[in-house]
Amino acid sequence: MSKMTRRKSMEYIKKEYARTRTMPASWYLNSYKYKYNVTHMKPFLDKLKEGKLVGLQCSNCNRVSFPPKLVCGNCLIKPDRWVDLRETATIATYTITYLKDEATGKIIEKPIACIRQDGCDTTIITELAPEINYEDAYVGMPLKIHWADNLEGSLSDIKYYDVIDDKSKDMALREKK
Amino acid sequence: MEKVGIVGYYQVKLASDANYGRYEMIFEAVRGAIDHAGLKKKDITTVISATNDYYDGRTISNCFTVEVGGGYMADESKVEMDGAHAMLYGLMRILSGNHKLAVIWAGSMPSCFPYHSARLYETDPTWERPSALVTDISAGGFQMRAYMEKYGVSAEDIAKVVVKNKKNAAKNSLALPEAQMADITLSDVLNSEIFADPVTELMYAQPCDGVAALLLAPEHHALKITDKPVWITGVGWNQDPYYLGDRDLSRNKSMELAGKMAYDAASIKDPANEIDVAELSEAFAHEELIFAEALGLAEAGKASTLNSGIDGDIAINPSGGALGGNPPCATGLIRIIEAVKQLQGEANGYQVKNVKKAIASGQIGMCAQNNILYVLEGGGN
Amino acid sequence: MGRQVCVASAGFCEHASKRSDVNMPELVSEAIADCLAKVPSIGIEDIDAFVNGNMPAFEGANMPELWMTDWMGARNKPLMRVTTGGTTGGSVAIAGYYSVTAGLPGIDTVLAVAFEQQSQGDTSVGLASVAYGEISCLNSLGIPLEQLSRLLSAGAAIGVASYQATNYMRRSNITEEDLARVVVHNRHNAAKNWYAHLKMPNLTIEDVLDTPYISFPLRYGMVCPASDGVCAMLFTTEEKAKDMADIPVYVNGVASVANETAILGYDGAGAGQLDPSEQLGARRSSELAYGQAGISFPRKEIDYAEVYSPFPNQELMWVERLGLFEENTATEMYKNGTTAINGELPINCSGGVNSTNAIGASAMERPAEAALQIMGKAGNQVPRTVHTSLGHGWGGALNFVTLMVMSDEPQRKWR
Repeated sequence: MSKMTRRKSMEYIKKEYARTRTMPASWYLNSYKYKYNVTHMKPFLDKLKEGKLVGLQCSNCNRVSFPPKLVCGNCLIKPDRWVDLRETATIATYTITYLKDEATGKIIEKPIACIRQDGCDTTIITELAPEINYEDAYVGMPLKIHWADNLEGSLSDIKYYDVIDDKSKDMALREKK
Repeated sequence: MEKVGIVGYYQVKLASDANYGRYEMIFEAVRGAIDHAGLKKKDITTVISATNDYYDGRTISNCFTVEVGGGYMADESKVEMDGAHAMLYGLMRILSGNHKLAVIWAGSMPSCFPYHSARLYETDPTWERPSALVTDISAGGFQMRAYMEKYGVSAEDIAKVVVKNKKNAAKNSLALPEAQMADITLSDVLNSEIFADPVTELMYAQPCDGVAALLLAPEHHALKITDKPVWITGVGWNQDPYYLGDRDLSRNKSMELAGKMAYDAASIKDPANEIDVAELSEAFAHEELIFAEALGLAEAGKASTLNSGIDGDIAINPSGGALGGNPPCATGLIRIIEAVKQLQGEANGYQVKNVKKAIASGQIGMCAQNNILYVLEGGGN
Repeated sequence: MGRQVCVASAGFCEHASKRSDVNMPELVSEAIADCLAKVPSIGIEDIDAFVNGNMPAFEGANMPELWMTDWMGARNKPLMRVTTGGTTGGSVAIAGYYSVTAGLPGIDTVLAVAFEQQSQGDTSVGLASVAYGEISCLNSLGIPLEQLSRLLSAGAAIGVASYQATNYMRRSNITEEDLARVVVHNRHNAAKNWYAHLKMPNLTIEDVLDTPYISFPLRYGMVCPASDGVCAMLFTTEEKAKDMADIPVYVNGVASVANETAILGYDGAGAGQLDPSEQLGARRSSELAYGQAGISFPRKEIDYAEVYSPFPNQELMWVERLGLFEENTATEMYKNGTTAINGELPINCSGGVNSTNAIGASAMERPAEAALQIMGKAGNQVPRTVHTSLGHGWGGALNFVTLMVMSDEPQRKWR
């Protein structure tokens, strides 16, 4: 729960009603520990550490997932074939969030993208390079991985995605001008 | 009621802290059931799951299980009760004629969540939850005391149920390892830690990790899939009022009404003689006795005198029951699977002889507030 | 092999952002009373079984039907609880249909109740916990929590919806003005519906476009409110419905096909839906439901549709995906008045989810409204006679869909 919502809900609880009373209660999600499978993630993370990308392919329907999926929903089997992927990707969809910077109180506009790594059939939610102007983002924008300085075999090795030259876009812009 | 067949099942081995991811466990159960029936993913037309948002720590707990539960491009829904209730919905869907194969799966992993505080969210949030006097365990204490006082049943009689079930569980390889106690004695049960007097630790069905899956098909389709389908001939379900003071805790009215509905559908007149095996999901040892009385297997207050062992007059919980491992949401479905195994003669090590009719039950709520009962027949015997 | 099922009645309670004058059980019994008032020949004691559901995390109560038993009149009656997130209402209605059509002995009349009192809980907690498990998994795979909270900061429902909106807007080449037009359509309709929450009879497109972005391309003025509300539907057999109601509404087709999740995959994996506005599940559901109902030309045969659209882009998308309009033509239909109350195919005359959203109940209010339009008892009644109507719902991570096709005559195709 963010600080803001917590504050808001406490105010709501304190409010006096004529006919009813309210009382606080909460759901301690922190008391849960979630278990998940790592056996299918391990080869993927090991390759990340080497600066390489692999996807997991279902041997029945040939769909590739990145990061790997435990089970292919289409075939209800565990995919078992590893395929190499390129570093390029495209924006499958994106949105822009408007978040308040807590230090300055200014609203920061930031594009957040769902990208599709070239050669795979799933999307992953990620950030774009900070220098990208949010107004420039569009569906289908070509991207390339920007690796982290130190690779440690975790998802954060992919720091963010850089834009690569998009000739078609330049052409369109030139025509406009 | 038309015949609906149970054509496949699978149960993951129960564990108190399973070395499984949630999705892997669900996948193993569903894939196992599909393989058990020799089917493929594309044969599935509908999937009904039973999970609980509070048990899983996830709002919409079936949201991310679509792919692992076989629900991709299938008619999918979730019953937030016991797995036995999920099977009811699956049964309705098969009976409607819209569907040819229903996958029912249910389960949760209490090793990942604080079970008793999740149960506390079931209580009335304005009056009972803040005081936390009525919890799943103290409610069991009220119920056991009420039953003992009303019929003059002693704690030893109830401890006998524990001894029987834990010994049965020792023969069931899929039961919770901690609950498999081949050498348990009455004094072990009575001298174990007191949870809520008179309920002791061993009288309480320990929550554990587990998922189970089961397949349903209409009559003509079931006969194509397997030679010995188990037929669902009767079902009844019912809900009691919430407040414990509104109910007579020494008996269970909702189970009585559920039993009446199921017996009427299956035209069972004399349950005590007609039924060979009863798999009842008891959250506490005394609930097995209360249910046996509610279902007409014994007279009121006399269930403790029943000879209910595997070789007895009527075998109750030959698999060990919920006392042999109680995965929340899956318990009722596992009871049904165990009854199916008995009918098909596949209960290795705890097979009851000559089983013709079996019953299986599921429950939710404090003191078994909502109960469901199935009458099962067939299985090739 | 199944039997005909009719909707005999449907009822609502008054929706508002905070119904603090009542608690959840009292709110539920309001809607049940409204539902039963429309069928004076029967009382609560004539109900054979109950189906109910809500989204439990929104009120902080697990399986609230346990302690609400008596307020629903379900004491010592068969009761089943169905919850599937945003589609809960639709799933409960479908479960009500199946309870009757199954023909279990003694189960003829079934009351389906879907409810939500969001003011009792913290909606943002409820929504955040949808993905909390998956987020904690991503966290342990190496993504820092503060980055994750930024990535998913838009909040579960609006987050996935804004991604979907971007895709849909690109696919169909529409502008924000087109989105605002849908909002105006809904809020104007809501003003004529007694139980609706956001009634804005004088709202204009400029007003909507004047509000700030909540998450591009959706603005505050376009987003649904959070309401307290309950919906109840009475399902029964053909014979009994003829006694109870003047115009029994036949349920001819139901479907709820699930798809892979969008935006966020399970266990840290990639998400299977490449384009969240493609909606394979909805297409498959409509094939199934129309197939059961014997509908070959939905555009011609369906007279009225209620689609579940908390956000305006979804309303445009669903009417296309459900086969009511050709792809990329929905905007045109809103412009030329086809979807208006006196148009050729009126849509969301109740004001839709865009004006009233009690999450657990919303997906049931769609088929309930669609049924009431056939009966001629809807709050904002279409002047033309409605013969066949459609109620739709979506939920989960854009991967659940519920559909219910109803008509004033039995059409169900028997297999």
